[in-house]
Amino acid sequence: MAKTERNTQSSILAVFASLILPGLGQLLSKKRSRAVLVFITTIILTFLVNWSLVHQNIGKIQLGNWATSWLWLPLVLFWVWNILDAWALSAKKSINPLFGILVVSIILYVIAWNVTAVKFNRLIERFGDARIVATNLVNPDLITINEKGQDKICAWSCMYGFIGDKLAGHPVAGPIRVSDNLLQIIGSMKPMPVPRWLVSLGLATPGSNIKVFAAGSMIQTIAMGLLATLFSTILALPISFLAARNIMARLQGGAVIYYLARGFLNVVRAIDTIVWGLIVVVWVGLGPFAGVIALTIHSTAALGKLFSEEIEHIDTGPVEALTATGANLIQVIRYGIIPQIVPSFLSYSLLRWDINMRSATVIGFVAGGGIGFFVIENVRMGGYQQYAAALWAVVVVIILVDYISGKWRESILRDQVQKDDTKKQPLLSYLRLAFFIIMGLLAFIYCWNLSQISIRGLFSPGSNFGQLIKDFVMIDLTPSVLQPTIQQMIVTIFQAFLATTLGALFALPFSFLAAKNLTGRSRLSAWIYYLTRSMFNFLRSIEALLYVVLFIFWVGVGPFAGMLALAVTSFALIGKLFSESIENIETGPIEAVNATGANRLQMIVYAILPQITPPFISYLLYQWDINVRMATIIGFAGGGGIGLTLTTFFGSLQYHKAGTVVFFIVIVVALMDFASAKLRQSLV
Amino acid sequence: MLRVENLTKVYPNGTQALKNVSFEVKDGDFLAVIGLSGSGKSTLLRCINRLIEPTSGKIYWDDQDITSASSREMRKIRRQIGMVFQQFNLVKRSSVMTNVLTGRLGYVNTFSSALHLFSAADNNKALASLEQVGLADKPHVRADSLSGGQQQRVGIARALMQDPKLILADEPVASLDPVLSHSIMKYLEQLNKERGITVLCSLHFLDLVHRYATSAIALKDGELVFQGLPKQIDDTEFKAIYGQEAERVSIL
Repeated sequence: MAKTERNTQSSILAVFASLILPGLGQLLSKKRSRAVLVFITTIILTFLVNWSLVHQNIGKIQLGNWATSWLWLPLVLFWVWNILDAWALSAKKSINPLFGILVVSIILYVIAWNVTAVKFNRLIERFGDARIVATNLVNPDLITINEKGQDKICAWSCMYGFIGDKLAGHPVAGPIRVSDNLLQIIGSMKPMPVPRWLVSLGLATPGSNIKVFAAGSMIQTIAMGLLATLFSTILALPISFLAARNIMARLQGGAVIYYLARGFLNVVRAIDTIVWGLIVVVWVGLGPFAGVIALTIHSTAALGKLFSEEIEHIDTGPVEALTATGANLIQVIRYGIIPQIVPSFLSYSLLRWDINMRSATVIGFVAGGGIGFFVIENVRMGGYQQYAAALWAVVVVIILVDYISGKWRESILRDQVQKDDTKKQPLLSYLRLAFFIIMGLLAFIYCWNLSQISIRGLFSPGSNFGQLIKDFVMIDLTPSVLQPTIQQMIVTIFQAFLATTLGALFALPFSFLAAKNLTGRSRLSAWIYYLTRSMFNFLRSIEALLYVVLFIFWVGVGPFAGMLALAVTSFALIGKLFSESIENIETGPIEAVNATGANRLQMIVYAILPQITPPFISYLLYQWDINVRMATIIGFAGGGGIGLTLTTFFGSLQYHKAGTVVFFIVIVVALMDFASAKLRQSLV
Repeated sequence: MLRVENLTKVYPNGTQALKNVSFEVKDGDFLAVIGLSGSGKSTLLRCINRLIEPTSGKIYWDDQDITSASSREMRKIRRQIGMVFQQFNLVKRSSVMTNVLTGRLGYVNTFSSALHLFSAADNNKALASLEQVGLADKPHVRADSLSGGQQQRVGIARALMQDPKLILADEPVASLDPVLSHSIMKYLEQLNKERGITVLCSLHFLDLVHRYATSAIALKDGELVFQGLPKQIDDTEFKAIYGQEAERVSIL
């Protein structure tokens, strides 16, 4: 009797607590994380509903003279749900969180829909424009035909006709050749004055020309990606030791260095390569060199973090053993740590190579150089068929890089032990080593020249750079800066939110088609599997910034175009990750459900869905995190959001404002990173 | 001579691993350290070469105070003290030869060792050490391609490279098949008898203690509960060290 009374009392207390402060009742029932979640959700929603009413008139309704937002209603419902939840928890029961999630979603999606200016009708109304772009895209400017003395682009249908005529022995419409556009992308043989060393060797006459391969923008992009990966690996190595807790613990004052290094890496990493590009351009001027520096800076921070985590997870046994022999710290690192970390470091560098190559395709948008610069120039002139050729080149190169990097990493991480050491031919292996070193050096020098690296340029910064550094650290929090920044930041976050949702919704059905263990053994299903997989890989190989250019033409400049671009990349990445996690499920439950005579749909619902829900949610959060980062830069190509604000400030040389925007980006990205990691941790 | 006086270790989490432990080891002794898991054996051995910092107490090695040595002096002391580990602690991806050569790091200069430059004398010494433990044919294979027993012999060869006057062996046979225990213990015995190296070895099996040790100490909950000759450990002593529940087991 007394017990029930006490229960009733604590229930009433919990209800009151949550009525006054959402989450407080849950806290009384000792559900700390739930309480924090409810409390933070309420705060954020209150802010958002109020903000969107005041600044954007979202959800505005007029009640007589009194204007308010109907979005307060779902918020009140959430409040009610929170009270019910507190009551249930105090009675040691739990209620379905679905209702709470539902009302929260209503608020979020309504705001997201409005701030990203979603106009799906445009997708249909302006379908005509889209069709023109699409036609151009599938007919890239690769081949030129000379018809009656006039050069024309020879697209697929023309090629088909040409080959048909040729095979049938009919007269062809005209001679064909590789188009100038494709030559610009890949490169061509160009006459150059003979270098002096050839003359002095007596191999050429002075003043004559020889034909030299002049690399095109795609080759330049490859060179930029390679160099950035090399430089960032070299730079990240020493930093990673400073950012490894277990190494720094062995030094006096090491903890301070550790926190400084970690903080430095996190801040640098939060700023996207493209934003670094904007800064670097002021330093060394437009060109591939600026691109390499921007790529290197971001990649160094990303690798530094991965490397240092790897160092923290090494086997400590050998370290202990070496310390016991009287070795000093440098010797312990050299013999106890480096041999352990070589494979994982190599594999991370290869992964980064893949990422750097992708970034290198778009860094030219702001920094100049590479295929990105080529794209921007052509799109400005409306050359969509030229742009299409560049896209195809990007797809081919990135898919190739992705494949090589993946296979290579696989073989490194397998780390096979060679059992027989007897049959080694030292001379041959030395020759092979020498060959690789020479080839590597030659490639390095070639890339160096191609990327127009100039050490002198590094130390003679542009005239505005001093001012940029000085202004950048002055955080300007006056309303004229703060308001547009906060507004665009919210737009950016919601763009990412909506893009993740859209991408996931479309990816979900396709991911089942791209899972090898679910598609049956028939030839048709094998085809479906390969087609879906290829589609994911194809779409994934193109950066969001390159998609923005397309969607602008279709739905117009603005956050909607940016959101759609992010949705496409999300679709491809989520599809890939989902299908992989479907492939990794345990087969036991499937077997058991099948044994009961269940059909395919029942099998999916009862044996597969319960297994894949946690990894799926975790990937969604991960994708949202990525999308927020990406959304900060899609504005550079007209995709709206904070990137637009940033380019405006940069373009008008208002560096103190730009610095404030970057400051906000760092904070938001770091917060998202932290929140998404925490949530994912609690899921797994 | 090694002299331990009132050695105490309290870990940051409050665990008292050693309580006022004092004992002496004469040069050329083979001292067995026995006790249950968690009784403080590993902590004791690691305090001697200060892989773990003692909380209080003194350790004298040939009248030099180890506990107050500077980090530079400590490295000089450590290079005279070889250590053999339960988990071998080899660098798995490095070759056997490299693993053995690392035993020499306390003697060579940092710069040349960073470039993996070892003198011909050191290389020959490494080959000789490998021969001593019966692995002369394996210098260039990767350490993780060896069996457990072979890896532990590499561990001993590494300790030999230090020209040690003292070897600390922390459960050297506990991760091995019992049938291999004697092979490893015999190498340690040989070093003790032929080269006069003092050995401190923590062991689980009483058989091994009787067979190889010249003296023994026992720890229980961080306290020294026995000090004497191995043969003095009779049934009453045994129960005092290991508790009433314990029963003797033997290997081979």
